[in-house]
Amino acid sequence: MIAIERLSVSFGAVQALRDVSFRAETGKITAVLGSNGAGKTTLLRTISGLKEPTSGTITFDEHSLVAMKPENIARLGVGHVPEGRGVISEFTVEENLRLGAMMAKVDLATGLDEQYEQFPVLGERRKQHAAKLSGGERQMLAMARALIAKPSLLLLDEPSLGLAPLVTAQLMHTIHDLCASKNLTVILVEQNASTALRISDHAVILHLGRVVANDVKSNIVADENLRQYYLGMVN
Amino acid sequence: MDPFLTSRIVSDILTGLTNGVIYGLLALSLVLVWRSTRILNFAQGAMPMLATYVGMVVFAHQLSYWTLVIVSIVAGFAIGGVTERVLVRHLYGKPEINPIVVMVGFLIVLEGVAAAIWSTTPRGTPSPFSPIDWQLNGRPIALSAFSVYEIVTALVVMIGVAALFRFTKLGLQLRASALAPEVSRLLGVRVSRMLTFGWILSTGVGTICTVLVASNFFTGLTPQVMDGIFAFGFIAAAVGGLDSPVGAIVSGVAIGIILQFVGDYVNSNAIMITALIILIISLMVRPNGLFTKSTARRV
Amino acid sequence: MNWTRLKRREVLSTILIAVAVAITSLTTSSVRDGVAIGVMVAVAIIGIATLTANGLRATHPVLARAALTVVVLDVSLFATYFFSAITNFNLAIGAAMSIVLLGLSFLTGASGQISLGNGAFMGVGALIMGMWANHHTSTPIFITLLIAVAGGAFVGLLLGLPATRLRGPYLAGMTLAFAVAFTAIVNSFSSWTGADAGLQLPTAVTPPHWLSDFFSSQTTLLTVNSMWLADITILVTGVAFFFMANLFASRTGRTMRLIRDNDVAAELVGISLPRARVIAFMVSSAYAALGGALWTLINNSVSPSTYSLALSITILSLVVIGGIGTISGALIGGVIYAYSTNVISWFTAHTGINPQGNLANQLPGIIFGGLLIVTMLFAPMGIVGALRRLWSKRRARTAG
Repeated sequence: MIAIERLSVSFGAVQALRDVSFRAETGKITAVLGSNGAGKTTLLRTISGLKEPTSGTITFDEHSLVAMKPENIARLGVGHVPEGRGVISEFTVEENLRLGAMMAKVDLATGLDEQYEQFPVLGERRKQHAAKLSGGERQMLAMARALIAKPSLLLLDEPSLGLAPLVTAQLMHTIHDLCASKNLTVILVEQNASTALRISDHAVILHLGRVVANDVKSNIVADENLRQYYLGMVN
Repeated sequence: MDPFLTSRIVSDILTGLTNGVIYGLLALSLVLVWRSTRILNFAQGAMPMLATYVGMVVFAHQLSYWTLVIVSIVAGFAIGGVTERVLVRHLYGKPEINPIVVMVGFLIVLEGVAAAIWSTTPRGTPSPFSPIDWQLNGRPIALSAFSVYEIVTALVVMIGVAALFRFTKLGLQLRASALAPEVSRLLGVRVSRMLTFGWILSTGVGTICTVLVASNFFTGLTPQVMDGIFAFGFIAAAVGGLDSPVGAIVSGVAIGIILQFVGDYVNSNAIMITALIILIISLMVRPNGLFTKSTARRV
Repeated sequence: MNWTRLKRREVLSTILIAVAVAITSLTTSSVRDGVAIGVMVAVAIIGIATLTANGLRATHPVLARAALTVVVLDVSLFATYFFSAITNFNLAIGAAMSIVLLGLSFLTGASGQISLGNGAFMGVGALIMGMWANHHTSTPIFITLLIAVAGGAFVGLLLGLPATRLRGPYLAGMTLAFAVAFTAIVNSFSSWTGADAGLQLPTAVTPPHWLSDFFSSQTTLLTVNSMWLADITILVTGVAFFFMANLFASRTGRTMRLIRDNDVAAELVGISLPRARVIAFMVSSAYAALGGALWTLINNSVSPSTYSLALSITILSLVVIGGIGTISGALIGGVIYAYSTNVISWFTAHTGINPQGNLANQLPGIIFGGLLIVTMLFAPMGIVGALRRLWSKRRARTAG
């Protein structure tokens, strides 16, 4: 479980997040939604330690993450799949996974087998350079790399970006199953609100750095105004 | 067989090879520091020079040759690490001219300090390997126990470094830190430690190179001894591509051999001119080095 | 034009000059000196008046720069009359060096390229001056200087062409290789260049008769000669700086800066990157050659070993310490170069460090290297840059 209290982040004179507060529960998927520039990516980067907030607290499993370095936060069990996936193209699939397993006290062979079982495509291409993978395969590699370290908190930044609808649907399905089977805490940032809401339990909507809605999925979906103004969902 | 092996051509090839591995080692150390921290270290010859003075001159009369070598290498590790932590830290992300000027200044300071403490008289402890060329039926081959020692050492270093990068966890982290530092941090890699380690490793390789030079009976150790080797080593690294360890070594050896022929068949002035021409031509053909996989710049 | 402001400035400057005239006329002895001083003063007044005319900087920038140059030249030439031979010599050496520094400052600051080879370009100019003077003794000095400049530009073109595609470290390496190879190249053509021994100028540079007659019999020939050399150098320096100041502000200069800051954008706007880079390279090598040619004049000989890699590094260092991309930085660098030995002896005298033996020899180098590191880490914009920051901070404080 992760609790974010009154988090504010700025880039020089520009304030990206103002007084953001919410909780993401264990075993549940919390969607963070909003249009471009709402601050969703900044939120994830602040949680994982790449950006220092100006004020506020982030508490994860008794630890305060605010003053910690990214590599130490990662070692606490936080897996961040960044915007653009961050797959290292010059490495092979297997090398990417080896890198992911580096800090975990996990037997490498077992870990690899698990991920290849979960994502058979990766197993087929294990010796290929990551540059040769398609968008969907890269996304799977990025997720497998985060999962191999057995994280308890998973931060996903727009995983559906650039993927075909069918692939996206499968991906969301996978995320949902993983969250349930491994009892993960998942924070899912998406621009595609309907896709994200389908698998989420809880949703937070950001607009210009502020939280405008923070509720269980059913309430969010039921609210006409929210859907129209912030989520662009006309239906 | 005999006339062939002792012929002028083969002699030049062998001598060029021996020189070339020295250039290749220095080029390799330049590539290591460039790949890990994107800095062109102009003091890449001077830092090991100081380490070699510490190892080989300070204790020269008390310890055996091999102990001195180890002391030098350890000193090289230390100098590399300290320099990164204290000096180079502040240069990341700055315009390209900043590191160049700082490292040139560092080079000047190191050479000055070494000359002030130990003067410019050649020093150094000769190795236990004889520098006298071997004889084949009364005619000399351009190989001696010492030159074989040089070549074998260089080979061992190159293989060791390659193995480190390909097969070890450390090597993987080093490569990842250089290619994608932010993503690596998210995966728990202590990137700043990797940067320091890159400098430690490259200075270590540079020190091995300098130790070989200092152990040479005919050269010895002076504060400026690595200047010429740095120039040729740098050219080799630039020709091969600053990102390519293999390119560094291959270019180093090739340049060593070519320049040996030029020096022998033309004259000594032509050596540097040829080196310059090689550099210009190779950079015109491939601006990022011959062995670099060319990637189009992302706009 | 604001007449009251103009009047106030004019009055002030006229008073200042009148005071200076009074002091100097009391110290000179002959009528001729008085005439010389009178001419100098008149030029100065006209120059300052033009300069301080309100708004001239904006409406006629070239004229304003010309006025500034004239005033500075005027004062400097005036001063050489009073300086000793040694001071004039140092002044000339420093002024020539500042031309070289200006060229490199332009290359680095305006177009963002690095060169570790400008010492060698200096050598090119120096050698051309020496060789030409030996074979064509009748050519006037200024023509020979132009030839040296052209030669420097040509070599710059040769090196600049492959350099256009090179990024930082590769460019640094190529220029470094050129600097190291320069000695070898010179030695290869030793019959022309005189190799290590260098060349002597066939006839020493002397002032024309009308000028040497002008001075009283008390001034020695050495003093007159050194004054004349200093004057020539200062004049050429003034012209070079004037030209550079205009280049900097011109369209070409802006193009260079755009390329330095954002070359992708420059390309998209249709600027030819290679052409601009080569031009910048040629300008810097031409300036370096000019400085080298002047050194040959001043020293009356050229010795190729002077133009080593160490000199190239010194040049780059002085540009950095003075301030990259600034004109005044080049001047400061020139002064530092001329008086560096004095500075170092002052330093050792005042800090009580009494170096012996090896340390004594190495100390200048160690201080110099340390200065480089410290400057680049803490004041990367050099002395001029640091002063400007202080100035703008003060202004911000008084304004806010």
